[in-house]
Amino acid sequence: MSSNKARAVVGALVVVVAVVLLVVLKGNNNGDAANTDGGKLQTIVVRNAKPVGGIRQLTYNKGEQILFKVESDVADEVHMHGYDIMKDVKAGGSVTFDFPATIEGVFEAELEGRKEQILEMTVNP
Amino acid sequence: MSLLHALPLAHALVARKDLPIPAWLFAWAASIVLIVSFFALSAAWREPRFEEEHWRPIRARLSRDLLGMPAQLLCGAIGVFLLGVAVYAGIHGTEAPDRNFTITFLFVTTWLGFPLFSVLLGNVFKPFNPWRAIGRTVGGGFRVLAGQRSAHLPYPERLGRWPAAIGLLAFVWLEIVYGANGGVSVGLEPHAAAVAALLYTLYTLAMMVLFGVEEWCERGEIFSVYFGMLSRLGCFGVSEGRLGRRRPLSAATKWATVPGSAAVVIASISATSFDGAQDGAFKNGIEHTFHWFVDRGVGLAGALHITDTIFMALTFLGVAAVYLIGVRGMSTVQGAPPAKKLRSGFAHTLIPIAFAYLVAHYFSLFVYQEQAQFTYLLSDPLGTATTNLFGTASAGIDFKVISANAIWYVQVGALVVGHVLGLTLAHDRATAYWGDYRQAARSQYWMLAVMVAFTCFGLYLLSVANA
Repeated sequence: MSSNKARAVVGALVVVVAVVLLVVLKGNNNGDAANTDGGKLQTIVVRNAKPVGGIRQLTYNKGEQILFKVESDVADEVHMHGYDIMKDVKAGGSVTFDFPATIEGVFEAELEGRKEQILEMTVNP
Repeated sequence: MSLLHALPLAHALVARKDLPIPAWLFAWAASIVLIVSFFALSAAWREPRFEEEHWRPIRARLSRDLLGMPAQLLCGAIGVFLLGVAVYAGIHGTEAPDRNFTITFLFVTTWLGFPLFSVLLGNVFKPFNPWRAIGRTVGGGFRVLAGQRSAHLPYPERLGRWPAAIGLLAFVWLEIVYGANGGVSVGLEPHAAAVAALLYTLYTLAMMVLFGVEEWCERGEIFSVYFGMLSRLGCFGVSEGRLGRRRPLSAATKWATVPGSAAVVIASISATSFDGAQDGAFKNGIEHTFHWFVDRGVGLAGALHITDTIFMALTFLGVAAVYLIGVRGMSTVQGAPPAKKLRSGFAHTLIPIAFAYLVAHYFSLFVYQEQAQFTYLLSDPLGTATTNLFGTASAGIDFKVISANAIWYVQVGALVVGHVLGLTLAHDRATAYWGDYRQAARSQYWMLAVMVAFTCFGLYLLSVANA
């Protein structure tokens, strides 16, 4: 009998720990869906064939409009992977990307010729 | 960070990376795992149920057709042909990994496809194994010409499956460390993959000459051992030359009787863990170590290879340590068999965990890349835009086929199911080893801790992927 009691206690403890874990982690999750880059024009500046300030991170929710401009001092092709959009940019010129966030996931944009990543884009559901 | 990006970046094989699982899902999954584990302990059975296979043959005609010589010849020929195509495309095709047949065929279609089909349909790699097909054909030819069987050296029993375990680590090292130019999943170049396939062919055929075809496939041939291990989970198997059905999981209980088997399954878990962690959980550690080597004058590529190798080795040791601690704990329970018997006796309980890790980490890659495999990679295997064999050379991958939510549920579902199956096997083995079911249940607190550790680690890896 006592071993059954011990089991009941351990079982109750496990459930309590699980519920606490759930509540704590669930609480953390609210809020990160609100602040996205949706619909705002973002500019990625490329100097010496590298993105200024490192690889740019942009976050969207599915259905929002993705809008960013690449200003580059080198001529190359900007490739938005996953969405598979490619646009040429001239040295000293700029190119604008404007498309809806239809595919969820994490995607890269790079200077295709140089294999230089300039953007990491996250689209949340 | 900046230094890592000074390295030439290879194209990631797949353009869409998985989103990390959200915290609420992590919490749900972890909670379910804890609760299920607890009830598994208290409500469990007292007599072993999986030690016997309860094997029943399927219809004799169907079995004969599937296992007969014509089918064996056909499957073997297909295997040899596809290996040939992969080597040819690797050597003569483009060096862009995502456009060349070779990389996707070897590292996605074969490496991830056979585990799936092995679990569902049984040991399907065996008939398609190109090296076994070549070995048996040559052996058969020798028998006809010389009128006697070829003599082989006796395989050293103590080596067991260690060659396969080491080979498995070497294969994954080749896939994600050797070719990794800045942390992409499959950074290996097609030419290198083709050369590696040729070298492995030579090595395998040499070992088959030494020890015999079936002997080497059972112990040392990486892919036979690995896919064969996973096929033990399913309900189809061959016994005495006949195909039959058995109780699912039951064949796994007899798998780890050969030395080194635990190392194979630990190698599998650690390889998948390392691949999942290098871009997420280990990212900071890898960067830190990488800079440490660079500051001491090691070249960039060399520093990255050394760092990745160290982290991969540490992952293997870490996974092994968790398992060995569990074994050690069990050996303190009254009536425990010797530690050596425990060590090999519970190794098979990790097979479902290994498969769950595989599904969780590569499910989406498989879904995307198989679209490429059966469209443009089939029509234009060299990736040079010179052929369009089936008219599908200009097709692309539809990344919309699975939503982020669907991927998350598959990932978490795989880990939870793998956890339950692992616990099931462990509990069942304990009831076989401990006559007294109370002691058996007590020993299982240790295996429960091991399984919870692996499952929560797996969930953790998914929750920080690409962070």
